[in-house]
Amino acid sequence: MQSTSNRDLGVGLFVLLGLAVIAYLSLQVGGLSLRDSGGLVLYATFDDIGGLSPRSSVRIGGVRVGRVESIDLDEDLRARVELNLMQDLELPVDSAAAIRTSGLLGDQFVALEPGAEDDLLVSGEDFSFTESAMNLDKLIGTVVHGDGLGGGD
Amino acid sequence: MMNWIRKLGANSLGQVEEIGEVVRFGGRILLATTRPPFRWRSFMAAVFDSGVLSVALICASGLTVGFVLGLQLYNTLARFGAEDSLGTAVGLSLIRELGPVLTGLLVTGRAGSAITAEIGAMRISQQLDGLRMMAIDPIHFIVMPRATALAFVMPLLSAIFVALGISGAYLIGVELLGLDGGSYLAGLESAVEFRADVLQSLVKSLIFGLLLGLIATWRGYSCEPHSAGVSRATTSTVVTASICILLADYLLTALWSI
Amino acid sequence: MTEAEAEFGHVEVRGVALAFGHRRVFDGLDCDFARGRISVLMGGSGTGKSTLLRMIGGLQKPDAGSVRVAGDVIETLDEAGLAKVRNRLGMLFQNGALLDSMSVFDNVALPLREHTDQAESEIADRVHDRLAAVGLLDVDDLLPGELSGGMLRRAALARAIVTEPEILLCDEPFSGLDPPNVSRIEALLTHLNRDRGLTLIVTSHHMATSLRMAHRILLLRNGGCVEGSPAELASSRDSAIREFLGKDGAEHLSRLGREAQGAKG
Repeated sequence: MQSTSNRDLGVGLFVLLGLAVIAYLSLQVGGLSLRDSGGLVLYATFDDIGGLSPRSSVRIGGVRVGRVESIDLDEDLRARVELNLMQDLELPVDSAAAIRTSGLLGDQFVALEPGAEDDLLVSGEDFSFTESAMNLDKLIGTVVHGDGLGGGD
Repeated sequence: MMNWIRKLGANSLGQVEEIGEVVRFGGRILLATTRPPFRWRSFMAAVFDSGVLSVALICASGLTVGFVLGLQLYNTLARFGAEDSLGTAVGLSLIRELGPVLTGLLVTGRAGSAITAEIGAMRISQQLDGLRMMAIDPIHFIVMPRATALAFVMPLLSAIFVALGISGAYLIGVELLGLDGGSYLAGLESAVEFRADVLQSLVKSLIFGLLLGLIATWRGYSCEPHSAGVSRATTSTVVTASICILLADYLLTALWSI
Repeated sequence: MTEAEAEFGHVEVRGVALAFGHRRVFDGLDCDFARGRISVLMGGSGTGKSTLLRMIGGLQKPDAGSVRVAGDVIETLDEAGLAKVRNRLGMLFQNGALLDSMSVFDNVALPLREHTDQAESEIADRVHDRLAAVGLLDVDDLLPGELSGGMLRRAALARAIVTEPEILLCDEPFSGLDPPNVSRIEALLTHLNRDRGLTLIVTSHHMATSLRMAHRILLLRNGGCVEGSPAELASSRDSAIREFLGKDGAEHLSRLGREAQGAKG
């Protein structure tokens, strides 16, 4: 049954190749992580989240440290964003969260700027300092009217 | 006029009846998978015929589609000065849509029609009746291994297609058009997400495989018992399966974005 | 004889009606196939010989009437129920119907591998025994496509009897074979009947062979059938029957006469 064992070899190689490619696409390209790298949940409230959506990335200095879990409105009708960050991240209580755009036309993400205090943020706490998304219309408006932000007439 | 309406009614009822039969057939295949023995030999042979023998076709197609995609997307992105996002654009289009759908259509033409012809030929030469008379269920013995093999190979082939497409576009973009290889790969990796994109791709190709497995074996199993019947069944498999794959693609894309 | 023993190997057809579209094939068909006997179904083309055989095998359901095989009423059974009945049947198809992607050995071994727990060595012994019984040696690794017509038919016969059925259905076992092979098959079938008490139901056009080997002949016509021993039918008053049997019928009678003379003298 020589042809059968050759055939079985072919099948085995094919399956291995296919699984290897799937693994590459999932882990390397798709960023699937096999360890649960989340765990530290923090909240940030913004006036304007711009184009931010769940699963947008959260970065420190450009390095991805977590993602946006969900976005809701709080009692004051401001946007409250839930962030799911790496378990062992150490952020001082005066750290800031800002919404930035990657590149000129890119996706929006949450940039964290670590503060200077000794006490660290604990899961469930809120950021004290936040910076809303830059709104292009408002920016153009200020330039045209020649006023500061929140312009009058 | 009345005659025409009568014909339309009869045709529609016929279609609904056939869909009912196909679903029942699918149910019997599913039941067959739960009853031992599993028929590994047949399954492996079918995986070889539908999968391994399709690899060359999938590789060639994936690579050429990658080339074309690289060129076309580059041209469009260049208009917005966004050539560096080629990796992103290529990755997302291949993984979400072109990989599963084109693989589905190619495998339908190559392996789907072959399986229909094989089962149809068995039907007209009374091999299926022979099995029944030996108290062996032809659905368990012949159909089940082939249908499951088609479902099994589809995601693997789709992934290979995608990988070759990404490589093809890379060759065009970086080697030919002078883009930076690093940005290409970075764009690819940052834009593609497992749950939204890769998983969608795998689920789609699995479902296309299941659809093809059902349609190809059904057409062979129920074909008219003469040579013209087999040939009609074979073309019908290609047409029906292709349409079903495209429709399913639309439905799955819509569902996934919820 | 107990009822079970009486039913063993016995097929009964009562009041069967079947039509394909507008074509009426059977209407009120009644016939019996006695156990341990060779019954030959004859009739012109389109009279439904193969269809009746398929009905007995459960591959075709009648529109009305009943078919009892070895005591079980089969027209109401589903595939699972039919499987139990088919374990006691064997069927020899006209073109063999062996699986063309498997070797002869694997084909003949298939029913044993599927339905029994026998070890491979036991199965091999049984398979070789049956193949030898039909006169096929050294064919184990050949594919059905590589066999001649006569060899293919005999291999299919080996497969049909490998599970020791009570009833053997043969669809045109002599058609398309040259005279030596026809004689071979006739000898094999007769031997199976005499030695193992197998009930044989055969469809055939082959007049001389059928008259020679049959215990009963069932002539299908007009939706029903006429039964009788070969001698009875050959000497029938019905001109249509005599015409159907043709010169073979007359020859058969004269041969019987000579044999009777020989026995007397």
